[in-house]
Amino acid sequence: MEIIKLALRNLARQKKRTFLLGSAIAFGIMIVTVINGFAGAFVDNISENFANLAAGHVFIQGVEKSASGKESDIIRDDALLMQAVKDANIPSKYISKRSSAQASLIFAGHNAQLKVDGVDFSKETFLPERLMFIKGGLEGMKQRDGIIISEPIAKRLNVQPGDRVLVQLRTLTGQQNVGEFSIAGITVDAGIFGSMSGYANKTYMNELLALGPEDYQLLGIYLPSLKGTDAYGKALYEKVKAVAPVFDRDAAKNDQNFIRSFMNQGKTETWTGIKYRVFTLNDMLAQVKQIADALDTASLIILLVLFVIIMVGITNTFRIILYERIREIGTMRSIGMQRGEVRNLFLFEAGFLALGGAVFGLVLAFIVMAAIGGISFSMNSPVFIILKNGHMTFKVDAARMLLNVLIVAALTEFAAFFPSRNAARLDPAVALRTVK
Amino acid sequence: MTIVELQDVRKVYPLGKVEVEAVKGVSFCIEKGDFVSIAGPSGSGKTTILNMIGCVDRPTKGTVSIAGTPTKDLKDAALTTLRHETLGFIFQSFNLIPVLNVRENIEFPLLLGRERVPKKEREQWIDYLIEEVGLSQWSKHKSNELSGGQRQRVAIARALVTKPEIVLADEPTANLDSHTGEQILELMKKINREMQTTFIFSTHDAKIVGLADHIIRLRDGLIIENVRNGTDAAALCADLAGESVIENSPVQSARS
Ligand SMILES: Nc1ncnc2c1ncn2[C@@H]1O[C@H](COP(=O)(O)OP(=O)(O)O)[C@@H](O)[C@H]1O
Ligand SMILES: [Mg+2]
Repeated sequence: MEIIKLALRNLARQKKRTFLLGSAIAFGIMIVTVINGFAGAFVDNISENFANLAAGHVFIQGVEKSASGKESDIIRDDALLMQAVKDANIPSKYISKRSSAQASLIFAGHNAQLKVDGVDFSKETFLPERLMFIKGGLEGMKQRDGIIISEPIAKRLNVQPGDRVLVQLRTLTGQQNVGEFSIAGITVDAGIFGSMSGYANKTYMNELLALGPEDYQLLGIYLPSLKGTDAYGKALYEKVKAVAPVFDRDAAKNDQNFIRSFMNQGKTETWTGIKYRVFTLNDMLAQVKQIADALDTASLIILLVLFVIIMVGITNTFRIILYERIREIGTMRSIGMQRGEVRNLFLFEAGFLALGGAVFGLVLAFIVMAAIGGISFSMNSPVFIILKNGHMTFKVDAARMLLNVLIVAALTEFAAFFPSRNAARLDPAVALRTVK
Repeated sequence: MTIVELQDVRKVYPLGKVEVEAVKGVSFCIEKGDFVSIAGPSGSGKTTILNMIGCVDRPTKGTVSIAGTPTKDLKDAALTTLRHETLGFIFQSFNLIPVLNVRENIEFPLLLGRERVPKKEREQWIDYLIEEVGLSQWSKHKSNELSGGQRQRVAIARALVTKPEIVLADEPTANLDSHTGEQILELMKKINREMQTTFIFSTHDAKIVGLADHIIRLRDGLIIENVRNGTDAAALCADLAGESVIENSPVQSARS
């Protein structure tokens, strides 16, 4: 108790020095916490934005293989699938059923490549909520060949709502097909992924793709939150597997790039009828997760590098402290303080310095994150995909924060250890005799 | 009863390539409850001898026994415990802990070591000591707010707080004006009488030597006079140390 009191008062003795050292520690903690916070939200925000674009967290794709060995995506009768979704007890917010194609649009000599999603606007009522129109609007989609495109594509083609554009794509069986779209609306640029997508009516897309009017290609289940993605994906996989042929997730499990291996499974297999592929957002975004992990690792390295520098300062400061208080150490040793207690006094000072600095650093980090989070980015910002409602967000993991603080405390103690031990080993007679 | 005994104690300091023999073979005994002065000019070896009695330094040769315990083979931890339990220290430049106030400085030794005095008893005892050294009004003040004489009073109370058998004071008045110095010494003498604590103080000031019951006078690391209440004190150790010590005693060689 007495040692703790002394340690705290000793720290208060040279306020400026304590403040500077504490600030250095705080700075290290602050940088790392902000990076961790960014990495934490990075995955979530990308996932969320991606889930919106792909209209789901968990997906089922139907794949047919023709006699000639060609794969084509199609879901015909989905009663089985809908039952599986029900059986897996998935709390879906909504379910999307889309037909999509990679298409090129042509207008007055200009052309643009994009992915056109055929959407049933009468069912996918959530989609219009997210589309932010610059020109035109949903009205135009009442026309069966209406299409919504993003601003960069509209600029490229130099089109306005009401213009009719030519579309070129391949049908389900691989035939070239040509049709016409009427521009219904132009939306803000939704970033790298969003700007390359367009939305058309599913019935018309099905016509262009030579699908039946009730057919579609991808079933997307939108969950209430990201959290259940893996668990519900697995549950759904088991349910579908029980009633229909599926691509084997376990066979691709150990592959470095799971999703590529899983998506290519059909190439080496032959089957008749429709085989289903159950996958999740996380499968597709595994690489995003890797980027976030890399960021976290980088933050740890930054912390360590910063701290090596800070540690030199701590060691030197404690050497100076030893020298400044040498007579005091001699006095305390004379009146009965053991070596270990002298060492502990120094180590407690270092510990309180580290903890104080760490708390200060965390406070700073939250201020910085709040400040950055307050900046409103425009929706057509290129970093849209990592934003949430146009704002940068941060998510700091408490365990990670604790780990950083523990690392900092351990390194501070390490830096102070040798001067502390030297202080403890001082010969009391020598310490008492030393005049400064 | 003998409480401190030095037998043929020598201390050699290495000083670069040469060696300085600060104490050149000193033997004496100190009786419990005495007010003892180690007198001598600067450089005569007073601090070195007090440090060895205080177990903060070890003799190069010879033995030092404190309260019947030979200190030669004790490890640092045991020496520290001995200092804590049996000895009290008063320094020339006071050496108070600057971050602690008067009361906390006095209490500090009681919070070290394994034994714990109950809080209430502790408070009463510290109150008594503060009163005794005349600092009741100053108990919340830090040392930089006190005069030299006041600081030394705090140091005296701190030295007494563990109820040690021996209090060592190395030139306790050297940093004080002569009037304050006399007051400090009189306070020490008063406590010596009241509590029967053995005081050993060093000084190069001839005026205050007179207050002592037992005077050990040094010159160049040797004893030149060892008198207790007017009689030769060399015989104090006779029964313990034997004839040879007395024959080799610097007292005799200095007188011959
Ligand atoms: N650490 C040391 N190294 C070398 N010589 C020392 C050391 N300490 C004391 N001395 C020498 O030993 C002698 C006695 O010193 P000291 O015990 O301090 O005398 P006093 O306290 O009577 O002035 C002096 O000559 C002094 O210079
Ligand atoms: Mg001296």
